[in-house]
Amino acid sequence: MTDTDLLIDPLTRGALLKKAGAGALGLSAASLLAACGSSSSSSSSAGSSEAIAGQAILSNYPGWMGKHNLADFHQKYPQASIKMISNATSSSAEVVLQFKSRQYDFLLADTTDSGQANAADLITKLDWSKVPNIKNISQKFRTAYPWGLPTDYGKVGIAYRPDLVGNATITSWHDLWELIPRYSGQTVFIDLERDCMGSTCKYLGFSSNTTDPGELSKVQDAIVKVKPDLNAFLNTNVGAGLINGSVAMAMDWDYDVALLQQKNDKIKWVLPDEGVHAYLEGFTAVKNTSKIAVIQAFLNFLATPPQYADFVNTTGTAYMMPASTPLVAKTISQNPILVPTDAILAKTEFDKYLGADGTTLWSNTWTAIKAA
Amino acid sequence: MPPPGERPRRRLPAFGGLSRLALLLPTLVITAVCFVIPLGLIAVYSFGTVNQVNFDVYFGWTTQNYHDFTSALYLHTLARSVFLSLSTTLSCAVLGFIFAYYISRQPPRAQQLLLVAVIVPFWTSFIVRTYAWVDLLQNLGPLDRFARTLGLHGHIDILYTPYSIAIGILYSYLPLMILPIYVSLERIEPALYDAAADLGATPFRQFRRVVLPHAVPGLIAGIIIVGVPALGEYVIPEILGGGKTLMAGNLLADQFLETGNYPFGSALAVSVMVVLMLLLFLLRRAQPAAEVQ
Repeated sequence: MTDTDLLIDPLTRGALLKKAGAGALGLSAASLLAACGSSSSSSSSAGSSEAIAGQAILSNYPGWMGKHNLADFHQKYPQASIKMISNATSSSAEVVLQFKSRQYDFLLADTTDSGQANAADLITKLDWSKVPNIKNISQKFRTAYPWGLPTDYGKVGIAYRPDLVGNATITSWHDLWELIPRYSGQTVFIDLERDCMGSTCKYLGFSSNTTDPGELSKVQDAIVKVKPDLNAFLNTNVGAGLINGSVAMAMDWDYDVALLQQKNDKIKWVLPDEGVHAYLEGFTAVKNTSKIAVIQAFLNFLATPPQYADFVNTTGTAYMMPASTPLVAKTISQNPILVPTDAILAKTEFDKYLGADGTTLWSNTWTAIKAA
Repeated sequence: MPPPGERPRRRLPAFGGLSRLALLLPTLVITAVCFVIPLGLIAVYSFGTVNQVNFDVYFGWTTQNYHDFTSALYLHTLARSVFLSLSTTLSCAVLGFIFAYYISRQPPRAQQLLLVAVIVPFWTSFIVRTYAWVDLLQNLGPLDRFARTLGLHGHIDILYTPYSIAIGILYSYLPLMILPIYVSLERIEPALYDAAADLGATPFRQFRRVVLPHAVPGLIAGIIIVGVPALGEYVIPEILGGGKTLMAGNLLADQFLETGNYPFGSALAVSVMVVLMLLLFLLRRAQPAAEVQ
């Protein structure tokens, strides 16, 4: 399958995470090499050229690009092109090792990944005067993602079927935790530590980026307490069981619920009262890339409303550029789950890099939860 | 000149030291590159430390990773994996023996057909076969609906439990148990059954004194082929465990894929290997005794 083929079909983040498992072993081998400091790329030479020419190599999720973005960019800058290499990464460790691998010029990376890569001195800061269209992106996202062009985000909320929980109304994480034992075996949690534990932090009134051992201990207790009554921790097709009713409640991402609702209109989405945890992704340049001019030109190009709308329409993600709204498909722009209103953003806390000790603490807590 | 009636024996060419080494070289290279060097690397990594910010690995020759492994959390996970792999291997042995014995007692043509039936599932992707169990075992799935037609109230609630992992391992590895046992049983001379019967042996006594001793080498081979990968199984618990049952294989993979802690992951790998070698050693010690009987 070529990269062009991959761009034809819209692909959800959930679908691509499926591929993460299948590709995991292969990636681990690549990561091991990266950890050893090996490299076979020639694209890492220092220095930059102001000429917008050459091919920049992008590591990206499979299909995570607008159908026409790359071709349109090449048409506008005939001397320049973007080669997209698909990687279904599922952890910050994998992404940071990609930053180190010298095989790419820029990467799709979330706030945790880029924050850690920045701490490890593995990124190139952009010359924002070369990316003036960044102004089209809402300030909240630019502040949360200062390393490159933020592209998409996903909130973790609650999806449920009122008809399967006695028509109970869920408005908060507290409501969910109350109902889990009552409807034992009918709730699914996300199988990613930042999203699952982050949402539990919100339930307990903590920051979803806390590194307080006491608070994380309470988070562990809260999840372990309901674990026997959970159906599963899943990282793909998390809310799929809501469609046929095999599960009644799910901790799930907004975009996933938007898709599920197209298949069963009984599924309700809840932005919990306590607030939500969210991931935020974007494109960040690798340290010492020689293609910084091409990267900046591409990011500036992608930050125009038509190109960004193409990106959103292809990927189906929640979007962050109000100016692109008229060009975004109505299934997205008129979906209250995916529109970035101020009220929603006020309740949203994005992932942050937690530092080495904080990351280890979260990881150990998550392992303890899974082993319990 | 051979004696009359005896076939002339072909004289094997004599190889000198260098020629012998040259013949061995491809095997030695493959063994070294694919097995010895990676294992050595894993062992070396297990004594290292990692910078959790940039994932640089340092080799200070610390035993801290092994010390960490002795925490109750990890030992409990390893114990769970050993128990699950032992119980599924035992189940595989019982079921595999029954299947293999049945196949070995059929006419040659039927045997071939049944063997093909055992092997055919291998033509389909392992991942696809494992995901198929998700559909089969889920609530409101075919098994759940069938159970309801039999009068079961509620749901079967099997998927995403240790039972669904056991079913997945049993299903995936059963052919690997059937084949070596079948090979052992197929070699039994039919006259042995007749002789045992003529001497008044009951069917059970025939089974105990004729069939079982002949099946032991195949059984032990099957137990090794099934038990070793079952202990480190990663994919089946990942798909059928629903993230609720942490197994050694998943714990190990997480260190490499999620946290990037290669030294600790390597220490886990070495520890699991040691446990496996210990189990194989015990099995090996049991083998001669079983064969004598």
